[in-house]
Amino acid sequence: MEQLTEEERKRIIESSPVGTFALMVAVVGGMVIAWLFLYYGVFLPRG
Amino acid sequence: MNDTAERKLILCHLWVAFAAFIVACFMGEYQVLERSGLLPILESPSVYFASVSTHGVLMAFVLTTFFIMGFGYAIASSSLKQPIWNKPLAWGAFWLALFGVVLAAVPLLSGKASVLYTFYPPMVGHAAFYIGATLLVIGSWIWCAIMLIMFTQWKKANPSQNVPLAMFATAANALLWLWASAGVALEVLFQLIPLSLGWTDTIDPGLARTLFAWTLHPIVYFWLIPAYTAFYVFVPKQAGGFLFSDEMARMAFIVLAVFALPIGFHHLYMDPEQASGWKLLHGIGTFIVALPTLVTGFTVIASLEIAGRLRGGKGLFGWLGTLPWGNPMVLAVILSLLMLIFGGFGGIVNASYAMNAMVHNTAWVPGHFHLIFAGTTVIMYFAVAYYLWPLLVRKPLFSNQLALLQLWTWFIGMSILTTPWHVLGLLGQPRRISTVVYNNLLTLAWKPYELMMIFGGLILLGSACLLVYNLVKTQLTPYAEHFTDEIDYAEPIHKVGVLPEYLNGLTVWNKVIAVLMAISFGFPILQFFFMDTFGSSAWGN
Repeated sequence: MEQLTEEERKRIIESSPVGTFALMVAVVGGMVIAWLFLYYGVFLPRG
Repeated sequence: MNDTAERKLILCHLWVAFAAFIVACFMGEYQVLERSGLLPILESPSVYFASVSTHGVLMAFVLTTFFIMGFGYAIASSSLKQPIWNKPLAWGAFWLALFGVVLAAVPLLSGKASVLYTFYPPMVGHAAFYIGATLLVIGSWIWCAIMLIMFTQWKKANPSQNVPLAMFATAANALLWLWASAGVALEVLFQLIPLSLGWTDTIDPGLARTLFAWTLHPIVYFWLIPAYTAFYVFVPKQAGGFLFSDEMARMAFIVLAVFALPIGFHHLYMDPEQASGWKLLHGIGTFIVALPTLVTGFTVIASLEIAGRLRGGKGLFGWLGTLPWGNPMVLAVILSLLMLIFGGFGGIVNASYAMNAMVHNTAWVPGHFHLIFAGTTVIMYFAVAYYLWPLLVRKPLFSNQLALLQLWTWFIGMSILTTPWHVLGLLGQPRRISTVVYNNLLTLAWKPYELMMIFGGLILLGSACLLVYNLVKTQLTPYAEHFTDEIDYAEPIHKVGVLPEYLNGLTVWNKVIAVLMAISFGFPILQFFFMDTFGSSAWGN
């Protein structure tokens, strides 16, 4: 584990979790795309 | 947990849970083998359905209830720093619940209660099954009472302090379960037990299915909340960081407890006894309850991101690599969230009113609930066991490497088991069938998927044996030094001030639940008493 200064530590704790935002956008976006695929690609063609 | 009496109480609950689990795992593997037709010697519909029923009861009712009770006692005694209130009563609840399990096991194992662990008449099992299940539920109600009394007493004794998050979540779960179990309790007490004892000749399946729908969805959150509790109160600390937000966590538990309840009709989309408007109302509620799961995903991943960055992680995703992947709790939460993404997607498809018709009563459904329950939820039960066992037996974990191997194999096995299950559902394979060897082109196309499921099940069985081996060895291996570690709860990033009552108490939310339940279940239940309905004779045992 890296040795962080108190200032670095404080900056990390107070920073926005941008990686989390990016992951959540990817997951929710992926779910929407998958849902649309299933609805239009599988469900509706079955009639 | 310094008190030996508390530790013994918790351990006994957890051992019953994992004993039920290992037996159920063997049954699960037998079932995929039998269904595939690979070994003709195994083929027997009666044994298959007895096994499915027992497997379901052991996993969904015994593993969960005993684990949740034991985990709740651990949380209450450690977070409130006080002994369990009325330990003789807690032991009474344990023995009552265990007696109920043994009583229900007799008809289950003898094929007299092969009702697929559901409460859907006119299929009716032996009365001992229903009486045993009732005793198990009464035992859990006593646990709920103990949790809520400890919660209330602590609040009264500490009016200027916030209830610890872990205890808040546990009390919310107890409240949820009291509400949730009331539906099936009414069904069993007033419909199924009288019918199974021959006191009544017929039963109203529409009313019974409505009452079971009351219980059927919130029970999933009763199982899931301990996993979410571990997400919030253990994982950030184990990862070397802080909880992103205590208040968001409390809000997530509140929304789970409130909105998990009035939404059960998405299990009845294809049923005739409820009007489509009521189903739509419950369907909308189902999508609302997805929100706290998204909030939980965000808060837990944000907590992990902070931990990863404090450990030297850089860039948008560099923190993922610096997380302590060798910590079973951290590994488990990552694998659990991965399974939650795919299981959650399956759940959204189930909840979509129109698309439900495509997957209803197909193999998709057991694929979905295995991924959410046996994947997302149970893998966190393992992580909690690995964390608690050393604290309960006062010895270090026998093998951390074995624990990591077990978690990875559970994840891999569950992925191999449930992916073909979903595909089979889309290919049209019905659920609740004992064989697929009809030898036509359609069912022959199912064959490779069935074989994959056998392989996945074998990996899961091996993984389950590793878990039990590690726990037994931890408990039985002599250890010379005095092991004094205690439960270490995660601290939030920002110190939490005095919280408003709606984030620190459950009274107002109990009233909200009462109103929502009256709206969403009031007329749908009362209608059965206003209109002429014709009962059905019992079918089955």
